[in-house]
Amino acid sequence: MPSYELALVLRQLPRPELISVIKRTAEAIFDKGGIIRKFENLGTRALPYKVSEHGVIHREATHFTITFDSAPTKLSDLKEEFGRDIDIIRRHIFKLEEPEEHKCTLHDEMLPPSYRKDVQEIIDIAKRKQKPKYNYNSGLDYYPFQK
Amino acid sequence: MLRAGCQLFNQSTVAAAKTGSNNFALEFVRWRRKPRWLPVAKSKLFRVPERKKQSEEERTELMRLHNHYKTQLRSVRQYLREEVVRQQETSTADHIVLTPEQEEAEFQRCVEINAAWNAKIAIEREKRLAKEREEKVAYVQERLDARRVREEERRERADERVRFEIEQSKSFITRENLDAAIETALANPVDHNFAIDLAGNMIKGRSTQPSSN
Repeated sequence: MPSYELALVLRQLPRPELISVIKRTAEAIFDKGGIIRKFENLGTRALPYKVSEHGVIHREATHFTITFDSAPTKLSDLKEEFGRDIDIIRRHIFKLEEPEEHKCTLHDEMLPPSYRKDVQEIIDIAKRKQKPKYNYNSGLDYYPFQK
Repeated sequence: MLRAGCQLFNQSTVAAAKTGSNNFALEFVRWRRKPRWLPVAKSKLFRVPERKKQSEEERTELMRLHNHYKTQLRSVRQYLREEVVRQQETSTADHIVLTPEQEEAEFQRCVEINAAWNAKIAIEREKRLAKEREEKVAYVQERLDARRVREEERRERADERVRFEIEQSKSFITRENLDAAIETALANPVDHNFAIDLAGNMIKGRSTQPSSN
């Protein structure tokens, strides 16, 4: 089963109700045969813009993420179920991917252009494309080719 | 050119050329004539050209010359033919006359040479085929080994992943420890925001102040 991350934006609630909302969400995942790996509480914070959901306007919300494994076919059911929950303002499911391996090449990029490898390759290509040119001071007093 | 030459003839010659009753066989067909693909004119349809009269002595003279020519040519041809036949009978320039025994011996010699060549080529072919067989066996073996190694690596990776997941599963959240996990999560809010200063130090959190050192 692939790993997913459910990002929830929850209505501002007292603690017991908040716990019950999260529990409800987790139970829904369990009921669909999912595995929960991790909970993360990102805190209660002002929303970037006012959000109207289920007929109520929200300006502050609790952000919470659940990392879980589930069958991909169950995701639409989960989304539908969370969409019906009036305590959930926003819900998004992202696929968890292996972090990409980055190698820092800043040192090479900061070199002067003539020392950079890509620039050297470009110069090589330009040199290859240059046509052989007749040298005028080679002793002949006329141009030996067709003009 | 012909048109220019045509103008040199006097009127009567041109008239004669047009009618076709000229003394020499000169008929202009390029100019002032009907095209070649048109049929014979109606007025010339039943015209029978007049046959040239030959006098008796002219005819006998021509016949005499003709007979002379034919007789001479026939005699030359006969002489040449006889010469060729004579040449073929006497000379052995283009073929060697052999007795049947000699022919048989010659044939045997050719067969032996052919057999020797065949034997030589067979040895070479055997060598080449053996080498090709060996190469093929080595190639197949190499591919099989590579496949085995590949499979082993794949299995190793899969086993690694399974071990990792089994290790991870100890920290999975189940229905039993759900309440405790929610409590813990709510008690420990996390913040993934960070900032980097010019020295490359990472300052985690939204409201963390950089330490004044």
